[in-house]
Amino acid sequence: MIRTIVGLIIVLALSAIVISSISDYSVPSQLLGAGRFYTERGVDDTGSVNLVTAVVVAYRGLDTLGEVVVLFCASTAVVLILTLIPIGANPTPPSSIVAFTAGVLPGAIVLFGIYIITHGHLSPGGGFPGGAVVASAFLLVMLGSNTIPGKSKFLASIESLAGLTFGLLGFWGMLTLGQFLNNLVLPAGSPGRILSAGIIPIISLAIGAKVASELSGIFASYRKAGGEE
Amino acid sequence: MNISLLAAASIGTGVMMLVAAVAALVVKKLISAIIIVGFVSLSASVLFLLMDAPDVAITEASIGAAISTVIFLWGRGKIGGEE
Repeated sequence: MIRTIVGLIIVLALSAIVISSISDYSVPSQLLGAGRFYTERGVDDTGSVNLVTAVVVAYRGLDTLGEVVVLFCASTAVVLILTLIPIGANPTPPSSIVAFTAGVLPGAIVLFGIYIITHGHLSPGGGFPGGAVVASAFLLVMLGSNTIPGKSKFLASIESLAGLTFGLLGFWGMLTLGQFLNNLVLPAGSPGRILSAGIIPIISLAIGAKVASELSGIFASYRKAGGEE
Repeated sequence: MNISLLAAASIGTGVMMLVAAVAALVVKKLISAIIIVGFVSLSASVLFLLMDAPDVAITEASIGAAISTVIFLWGRGKIGGEE
């Protein structure tokens, strides 16, 4: 009871602080600072029609590389911990509805994920969301099967290759244009075409492959770890 | 004071999210709580879409609503218990 009251008081105090700090906030009528710079120069600088991808991959590409490293560390740690647990028994077979869905849908989901990845510089999406969508298709496949997934060398090599591609593209920009991850080592092309925007499509592809394989590896090790089911 | 349809939809989704989030805390069965948390993520995704952030909406829908819900469900299966 006391814990509930104390928790409630803390939540109320925190919300009072948040509300008081944003009470005099009003939406500016025009963009300022970095936002204005990106919207005015973004398409000319990078050739990417989708400005979110232009910022994420081109202007702040180093941050994205850091994000990929964080995901890599997280997935390595999860897999490492879960391999300490002995492999469990096969899960109970899924219901016929789940089994049927898992047989029909994954192809379409993978296709949609690939679309999101390859059109990252044209329409909403990019490497991270697309990779997650592709991984969710593999998740559905695992849900529909009643055996535990085996080891996959293929997944690990895809993951390493994608990470290597990202890093090497960064060094390519450093060697030719004197800037790590410079977007324009490949021509910007005409905005709106699928082959445009410098190295953004290639980096999207690399991020997508890396995210998809890492998340699938995490699912597989969850599925393998022992316990009741 | 006139509220546009978009703002009304955003507020409606936000209130729905809040109610579902409280329900996830209160509800007794673990599996219901997991499904409700997935619903909260899906509402968040709709909210991002209404606020003109489709990039974030895709990520939230795939990771928040699909992947983490299934991970929680597997976890519930592994610990093998209710409540």
